[in-house]
Formats: sequence, C-alpha cells, structure tokens
Amino acid sequence: MTSKLNYLIGVSLKRKVKTKWFLVANIILAIVIAGIINIDSIITFFGGDFNDKTTIYVIDDTKESYPIFEQQLKDTDLNLQQSEDGSYVVKKYNKTFEEAKKLIEEEEKSVVVWFQQDQDNTLKATILSEQFLESLDSQILVNAINTTKISLAILKSNISEEQMASIYANPTIERIYLDETKKSEDENMQMITTTVFPVVILPFFMLTLFLVQMIGAEVNDEKTTRGMEIIISNVSPKTHFFAKVIAGNLFVLIQGILLVAFVGLGFLIRHFIGGNSIINGFGTEVSNVIQDLGESGLLDKFIYIIPLSLLLMILTFIAYSLLAGILASMTTNTEDFQQLQTPIIIVSLIGYYLAMMAGVFNGAVFIKVLGFVPLISAILAPSLLVLGQFGIFEFIIAIVFVVIMNWLLIRYGLRIYKVGILNYSSSGLWKKMFKALKTKE
Amino acid sequence: MLKVDHVTKYYGDFLAVDDLSFTVKPGEIFGLLGVNGAGKTTTFRMIMGLLDPSSGSITLNGKKIDYDVTDQIGFLTEERSLLTKMTVKEQCLFYGTLKGMKEKDILNRLEELLERFEISEYKDKKIKELSKGNQQKIQFITAIINNPKLLILDEPFSGLDPFNIELFKNEIITMSNQGSMIIFSSHRMEHVELFCKKLVVMLNGRSVLEGYLSEIKDQYRKKNILIKGDVKKSELEKVDGVLEVVEKADEFEVKIKDHTIAAKVFEAISKHKKITKFVVEEPSLNEIFVAKVGESYDK
Repeated sequence: MTSKLNYLIGVSLKRKVKTKWFLVANIILAIVIAGIINIDSIITFFGGDFNDKTTIYVIDDTKESYPIFEQQLKDTDLNLQQSEDGSYVVKKYNKTFEEAKKLIEEEEKSVVVWFQQDQDNTLKATILSEQFLESLDSQILVNAINTTKISLAILKSNISEEQMASIYANPTIERIYLDETKKSEDENMQMITTTVFPVVILPFFMLTLFLVQMIGAEVNDEKTTRGMEIIISNVSPKTHFFAKVIAGNLFVLIQGILLVAFVGLGFLIRHFIGGNSIINGFGTEVSNVIQDLGESGLLDKFIYIIPLSLLLMILTFIAYSLLAGILASMTTNTEDFQQLQTPIIIVSLIGYYLAMMAGVFNGAVFIKVLGFVPLISAILAPSLLVLGQFGIFEFIIAIVFVVIMNWLLIRYGLRIYKVGILNYSSSGLWKKMFKALKTKE
Repeated sequence: MLKVDHVTKYYGDFLAVDDLSFTVKPGEIFGLLGVNGAGKTTTFRMIMGLLDPSSGSITLNGKKIDYDVTDQIGFLTEERSLLTKMTVKEQCLFYGTLKGMKEKDILNRLEELLERFEISEYKDKKIKELSKGNQQKIQFITAIINNPKLLILDEPFSGLDPFNIELFKNEIITMSNQGSMIIFSSHRMEHVELFCKKLVVMLNGRSVLEGYLSEIKDQYRKKNILIKGDVKKSELEKVDGVLEVVEKADEFEVKIKDHTIAAKVFEAISKHKKITKFVVEEPSLNEIFVAKVGESYDK
C-alpha cells in the first residue's frame, strides 16, 4: 500500500506541476518578484528619476544665509535619509525671483529658496516649486531653513565654537519603562509589524489559497467524473486522503522554495546591476527598516522565531489541506466546493488582517486569544511573538493546538471522507456526515 | 468463484439490499438486472469492496474481497469514470498501476487493446478530446487492462454504435472463454439474453427471479400462438384449452391455457392447405421482467 501511496502522491504532484499554467504562473511570479526588487533600476531605465537629485537654487538677499543653509541641508539630509551622497544639489542663484520662476518651469526636480530679511530683521524664506514637493523633501527643507535661522541668531550672539558644537550635538535620551519586561527595541516592532509583516505573510496566505484550491479541485474532479470509484476500489480512502494531503503540502513546499528562489534571483540581478550596494539603492524606507531590525535585536531572535514560525506554518498547511480534503469529499460538484471553500478563505483572510493590526492594537486580549486559534495562529502568532506579546511558551501552546486540531481532523475527518467521496447526492448531506462521524474505523 | 452469500445492506434505516445470494463461476456471464434503485449499484459496490455488507459475505475464490483481492477485479461503471484531463496513456497507466501492474506490462497490454479496438492513434490524446463512443472504449480498456478474473460491467454498451457493440461483445465472450467471471448489467435485454446464462432480477433490494436463463424461460413459457392462413376464428375457439382468439390485421393471436394445448391447435388446423405461419411464442426476457417487476426495464 506504501507504493500505491507514493504513486498517488507522484500523480497528484505531476497533475499540478507538469501543467503549462504552473509554468506560466511561475514565470509571471519570477518576473514580478525580481521586478519589485529591482524597481528603482527599472524606473531609471525607462527614464524615471528614482535617483535623480533635486536641485535647490538659493536666492540670498541676506548675504549670510546661503553657506549656513547649504551645510544645514546637508546635515538634515544625512540625518533623515541616511544619504551620504546627498539627495540635493544646492546652488546659489544670483538673478531675480521672477527669473527663477522661468528656470523652475524649464528644469524638472528643482526648487527655489529665497531668503530675505523681514520687518523684525529676522530671516524670512520663500519656497518656490512647479508641483507639490514630496513630504520628506518638504520636511528637510523646512528643517534646514529653521536651523539656518537659529544658527544665524546664535552666530550674532558671539557664542564660542565649543558652545556651538555642544548646542548642535544630539541630546542623550534615556528611556525608562515601568513594565520591566518591556525593552526600548520593542517600540520599533510596531513599525516592523505594519511594514514588514504584510510582505512576509502574503506568500503564506497565497500558498494557503493554492493548497485549498489544489486539493479541493482534485478530489472534486475525481469525484464528479466517478473516477473515484475506480481509485477507491484499488486503494483505501485513507491512503487516497493522505496522498492528497501529502501531495498538496509538497506542492506548497515546492512553490514556497520557488518563491524564495525568485527573491534570490531578484537580488542576484540587483547585484549585477547595482554592484555591491544591494540594499542602499532601495531608498531610505527599506534601509531604515533594515536598520531598525538590526537595532531592535530582532535579527538575534530569528534563531528561534524562524524555526518555530516555520513549524507552525507547516502544521497549519497540513490543517488546511486536511480540511480542504474533507470538505471536497462532501461536495457533489465544483460549484459546491467553491461555496464550501469560501469560509476557509475568510478564516485565512481574518488571520492576515489581524496580523497586520496586531501592532496597532498592541496588547489587545482579543487578538492575543485569537493568536492561539488554529488556522489563524500561523499568521497571527509569529507577529505577536515579534511584538513581544507572545513568549515562546505561548507560541508552543499555539503549536500544540494546531497539532490537536490535525489529530481531530484525521481521526474524525477521515470518517467523513470515507462516506463523502462515494456520496453523489446533496440531499441530507449534513445528516449523512454527522452520522459518519459516529461510525467507527 | 464469486459467492454472494445472504448479503444485506442497510443505509441507516433504508434497506438497500435484502438477503441476496448468487454465485458466478469462472467462464460464466451473469446478469444482474433491476430497475433504477433496485440495489444493483450497491451490490456492485459491495462486490468491489467499496461498501461493507451489513450482514452476509462476499468472497472471491474463497477470500473476502479486500484490497489484496481487488487487483484481480475489473470494473466498468455506468457513468464515465475517466479523468478527462489525462491522456489515454496516462489514464491507463494510472488505473493499471493502482491495480498493481508494472508500467511495462500496462503499456504492452494497452498497445494490444488499442489495436484491437482500432483506436491506436488516440493513445496520446486527452480523453476529453475523444468522442463519447471512444471514451467508452477507453473505459472498457481500463477495466480489462489487468486481465481481471472478475469483470463487472455496468451498462457497457452505453454510447456505442452497432459496429462497436460487436467489438465489445467479442471481447466479453473472449474473456469469458478464457475463464473470467463476468457480471453484466444492461438496460438492453437483447444483450442480456445474448450473453448471460444465469441472472438475478432485483426489486427493492430483493431477488425476485434468479437462475439459469433457459430454466426461467421454460417457467415463463408464453401461452400465445400466432397463426396466419385460411383459418376461421370459430374453428380455433372450439379447441379445448383455447382461452381467447384475437383477430389481428392478417393473423390470429391464440391465447392458450398451457403449452400442451399448442399441439391440439396445430392438429385442428393441419387440414388447411394455406397455413403460412404457426409460431408458439417464446417469452422475451423483457416480458418476464415486466411480469415479475411490474414495469419495463427498457424504459
């Protein structure tokens, strides 16, 4: 019977993998993933301005603001964007403001800053641009103008260079939490869960859909064509059921490995296009996230977070596949299965949104309790573990719950499966299934 | 030998098969007849080991039918049991392997059968691309690919033209001659009459008629004589044992008490010189079926 099980697994896998749709879908996925990883290069290739610097023309009627502003802008840019090359080119403009307007119209990505003295003899600035400025550009410009104003005032106060350096130095901030279990790194986690998690868990959600669809469609196809009678007359329903579950999970594993390979391919392409700066070219946001991950100490926690999360995800994939097989056995046509799989998809979606919101509703008991619920826990529990709301103990409990669910699905679901796969009538379906639950092996 | 011994099957409170017994010996073609819902499919499923009887037993060559024995059985279901997205070769490899056959043996047997059924060119075609008749041929091939000792055929001629029915008939008879036990179910009574030496007629899960076809026909000998010629109705009515004479367009239908009366009728009209027809009607299986079950199986 083992050889028949292996054979059935092989046939199921081949039916899914050796299709043109699998090939086409994966070519598209490879292109999309590699494309997203290299989006900056693609934009630049098509004439985009992803890395173009913004030129800032400065009209300095005060005769003393320009050098200070240039320095302040460089410092602010470095602080906020971690851009050592600088995102801006600052040029002094010696013509009138009216002539600057014409220049702005002709030159893309340019801004004019006009410094004047106001009635109180303090600095007044006018910012001129063709379109809206990006929020970060606007923030950096305003910061640089403000600090220019303060610097000018300090300079006029005859403060020594040492005092000046002390004033400009960043203050030392000590963070104290009354809750001793909290660490300053955990404060970064909210940002990480809202930015990183949707990206990381999307493949899990996608693979869950693939899994449910694959098992459901196959069982349904064999059942509606009555091929099931021939198959079940030669292999036991148990063998058939496990063959579908194992094949489905192997397929998900193959697809998961392919997704990782596509990400690797994307980075490889990035390496060849952009030299060694694999991360830098992504822009400030990605660099900041990676920096935050490092600072938060999360990278050190990956030693246990990744294996535990993978274990939970694999067990949950098995739970989804068992459930899909059982539900598919109860259907009598494809439309029935589409209706029956909807609740599974909704449950998975709930987990997806809750994982994204876990950081927002930090510490909510409701979300914490749902983190133990099988099917949802595979997405939610890892995010709670990262946020520090779940410890390893709670996470292991979530794993145990999924194991118990799988055991129940195998023990009782198999009874339904045995009756369901040879049932072709939808009348009294639930009655038949509940009755099947009471039967013994 | 297949032995179905006092088999009963309940679905909950519903009695699907009630104390059914029959045997099929090697080389025999056995007819299992009944209207829809009579219990045929349940019986087939129990023989195939898909369902367990509530009571009684089914054995093949003395062994209970389980997954160690099903490799020796071939099953052709009434509906198409083909995975239509597969090619003919893939489908036969799939079912053949599940029957415990080796790939090489399956391919050799497939070549032979495809040639015999004159569809060698469809080997690499997807089943969904084939006509209904050719799909039925493939289904038949998958049922016999393992040279089964027991072959169950549920409506094997569905969707076939007369030429292909002949092909199937020859194959079934060949298998029977080679010693296979064949259980046959069809709505076409002429096919059942042609093939089956033994049969069971089921009604509401019970056997209402069983035995050898020749004996059944003897028991149900029709009490009608058809006569064509220069005979008068009154002459026929005078013969002892004649119950009724019906005058039809160009012949008489004479209803008699029992088959011994036929000789008396023949003697009575033998003086006439222009008798062109004298037929003592033999009952058709359908008529016997109607008499027993109360409705036509051909419907």
